[in-house]
Amino acid sequence: MAEKILDVKDLEIRYVTDEETVKAVNGISFTLEKGESIGLVGETGAGKTTTALGILRLVPDPPGEIVGGSIEFKGRQLLDLTEKEMRQIRGGQISMIFQDPMTSLNPVMTVGEQIAEVVLLHNKISKAEARKKAMEMLEQVGIPGERCDEYPHQFSGGMKQRVVIAIALACSPELLIADEPTTALDVTIQAQVLELMRKLKQEYNTSLILITHDLGVVAKICDKVAVVYAGEVIESGTLKDIYTDKRHPYTIGLFDSLPDIENDSESLKVIQGMVPDPSNLPDGCKFHPRCPHATEACKTGVMPSIQVSETHMVRCNRFSAEV
Amino acid sequence: MSEILRVEDLKKYFETKKGTLHAVDGVTFTVEAGKTLGIVGESGCGKSTLGRVILHLHERTDGKIVFQGEDISDVSPAKLKALRKDMQIIFQDPYASLNPRMSLGNIIGEPLEIYGMCKSKEEKEKKVREIMDVVGLASRTYYLYPHELDGGRRQRVGIARALILDPKLIVCDEPVSALDVSIQAQILNLMMELQKERGLTYLFITHNLSVVKHISDDITVMYLGQMVEKADSAEIFKHQYHPYTKALISAIPLPKYDAPDNQIILKGEITSPINVTKSCRFAPRCIYAKPECFNTEPQLEEVAPNHFVKCHFVKEINNL
Amino acid sequence: MKKSVTEKKHTMLGEIWRRFKKNRQAVIGLIVLILFILIAVFAPVVAPYGYDDQDASRAMMRPCTDYPFGTDNLGRDVMSRLIYGSRYSLSIGFLAVGISVITGGFLGIIAAYYPKLDNIIMRTMDLFMAIPQMLLAMCIVSALGPNLFNLMLAVGLSSTPKFARVVRASVLSTREQEFVEAARAIGASNTRIILRHIIPNSMAPLIVQATLAMAGAVISASALSFLGFGVAPPMPEWGAMLSAGRKYIRQAPYLTVIPGLAIMAIVYALNVVGDGLRDCLDPRLKK
Repeated sequence: MAEKILDVKDLEIRYVTDEETVKAVNGISFTLEKGESIGLVGETGAGKTTTALGILRLVPDPPGEIVGGSIEFKGRQLLDLTEKEMRQIRGGQISMIFQDPMTSLNPVMTVGEQIAEVVLLHNKISKAEARKKAMEMLEQVGIPGERCDEYPHQFSGGMKQRVVIAIALACSPELLIADEPTTALDVTIQAQVLELMRKLKQEYNTSLILITHDLGVVAKICDKVAVVYAGEVIESGTLKDIYTDKRHPYTIGLFDSLPDIENDSESLKVIQGMVPDPSNLPDGCKFHPRCPHATEACKTGVMPSIQVSETHMVRCNRFSAEV
Repeated sequence: MSEILRVEDLKKYFETKKGTLHAVDGVTFTVEAGKTLGIVGESGCGKSTLGRVILHLHERTDGKIVFQGEDISDVSPAKLKALRKDMQIIFQDPYASLNPRMSLGNIIGEPLEIYGMCKSKEEKEKKVREIMDVVGLASRTYYLYPHELDGGRRQRVGIARALILDPKLIVCDEPVSALDVSIQAQILNLMMELQKERGLTYLFITHNLSVVKHISDDITVMYLGQMVEKADSAEIFKHQYHPYTKALISAIPLPKYDAPDNQIILKGEITSPINVTKSCRFAPRCIYAKPECFNTEPQLEEVAPNHFVKCHFVKEINNL
Repeated sequence: MKKSVTEKKHTMLGEIWRRFKKNRQAVIGLIVLILFILIAVFAPVVAPYGYDDQDASRAMMRPCTDYPFGTDNLGRDVMSRLIYGSRYSLSIGFLAVGISVITGGFLGIIAAYYPKLDNIIMRTMDLFMAIPQMLLAMCIVSALGPNLFNLMLAVGLSSTPKFARVVRASVLSTREQEFVEAARAIGASNTRIILRHIIPNSMAPLIVQATLAMAGAVISASALSFLGFGVAPPMPEWGAMLSAGRKYIRQAPYLTVIPGLAIMAIVYALNVVGDGLRDCLDPRLKK
């Protein structure tokens, strides 16, 4: 059994403003082992990004607030660390890639300086060494080292995202959180970047949390999947569990609503209704107003987490009888 | 079958500080009434500009646009206004394309006012409510403002505004790209139903290949302002002959467990459409490129019935 | 049916009011402003004496119970003059800014929407911006002759270039928005696009600028009156009062201090209201 690197338990995050309380994350749990990658899949507003920010303790406070749960990273409770200790972990042992490469780079610093900055912050080395490291990292992500002294605007979108990846990996982090890393990119560029991420992940043996709405991207680089709906993990398991034996009506609906590129179908199957407003979540199963199988029992209480197999969990009343 | 729109050698150049930007460079196609032509390409290939040039939101540089048998390449402002009743557009960003200071009723009803198609407020309201019902917007949303709706409903407002004049052709510029998958499916189904009921013709512009396959009858693939391959939808997904189309289709990550790993990873990125030379524009990224590709521009060739490809070596590459 | 229209309109304004309320200073500013407006409107009712009631026997009295702010060299009650004066100061503020909003707004919109005219209009505006505003206003008043209306005109016209700039910038960014293209696609005319789509969406910075400029206009008007370019005596314009009291600053400092404080209060109120409006109208702060 590999070393457990991250253990998130019952994480709860809220945004509290004068008018309303937005329950963004409502008890998300998952674990991640060394070198493993998990995909957090869900639609806009499901709480995926908030979860990621929560792990790095970067939820803007106020209005955000981590109200409960635990985040253990290599046996250390992240929620108990001081801000200073947290800063050492961020960018060093855990780093993050944001969705938009255009805005996550500083336009007035050369890319080399930006990579070297992270290296200098977390290692006791000289500036010259840091610069050398920056050039190495650029080569690693497929950019000639001599472009080290260029500014972000001299790079195209795909290249910028490579630079962002280089920054994220510069300190050989043990955990990488990627928030929609390829959503802003074109398909052919996305293919390049995904290929690169897969290669580097193997090389560095980094664990990865991939946040995305794209089930195709997950299938390409993840080992495990957690489907998030209204701030809860409603189904989780290995890639095989989810893609070949999906159980939760939402997961099934999500897959069915994708137009199939390999087969023809007249009209798409649709999940009725809209994603619920996180400041006004329904009681019981959060999905019941949209669920074709909803019964009276779904309208109240907490949905049971049911282990379909050792690796496969689903949160739905329909499967209570099976176990 | 009757043709509703024909575009011949359409060109749109923009003058920039760095030189002439060839946004659309010699595009030719016809669309039949009641069908959907999908235009696929990555950012910067000129697909959105193409749609806007056809609608005269940009003026063309050269070429010919024929709509319902009439040459509309150059039209007077009065004629243009009349034309716009028949040609509408649905935008990508359902938020940016709705005036935040107007209520839904006013947004959807504005075209009626412009064309004097309603004699009274009551008549306008009646017509707007009818069309809202058609696109699945609850009647109580009539007085709401765009910011009070979610993305899917906003896009329904955009569709309602386009439909209220009862147009024949609708240019759909990435209408579902900004939406979540479950909402995307709802909107795509709605658009297909509307097409069937009202005999609409769509020019469906997108970068999403699985969406375009689902909705289109014919597909045109664009690269740097030019068409590189066109065929009917089923055919192009079965056989791709142009190296770019091959890479594009193989690059789609499939939502399947154990999907075969036969991706073609293209090298480099899309080059600039500024000051282009006579060459194959895809050559710098093409694995099959030969010196000839950099010196002469290939022509669109019919390699199979109704299947056109713009590549010098299409026969060699595909063993045809 | 009618009812729900107004209901919805209320929620739009309600949203703005809800955000405005959070800024306590701005609310205080608004209360002060409303108070001044009420005083100005009901001046004859509120004022204990007429603004021009002279009585040499009670000249230069220090503040007391009968004359809370004292009397001036001609024995006129300072408080009554102040109360009547608020009419002039406020109307100069509102009307002068109204003039700049209309002229500046019109030029700004035209410049932004018709690129061909942009250069001509904006370079002319730059030319006027190069002249100090006070000097420009003085030139206008001296050319037209000093009276209340010309004072407003001078103050208003001298800040036209500023408004033209603000409006032009705002319209330039609005016209690039997709809903403007959408309006063109449904066949809307230029006039319609400007009136229904561009103007309502470019108003926010203009409203803020107008509130802040009103404070500036009150000061400019007072300064011009102080310098003798403004309102002729015996009209109790605050700046003119300040100027008249200057001669007696040693014997009767309240003659200058009190109008000064009044100008300060109204300028302060307008400024904080302007700041508050900017915060709650800024679309980036939505949500």
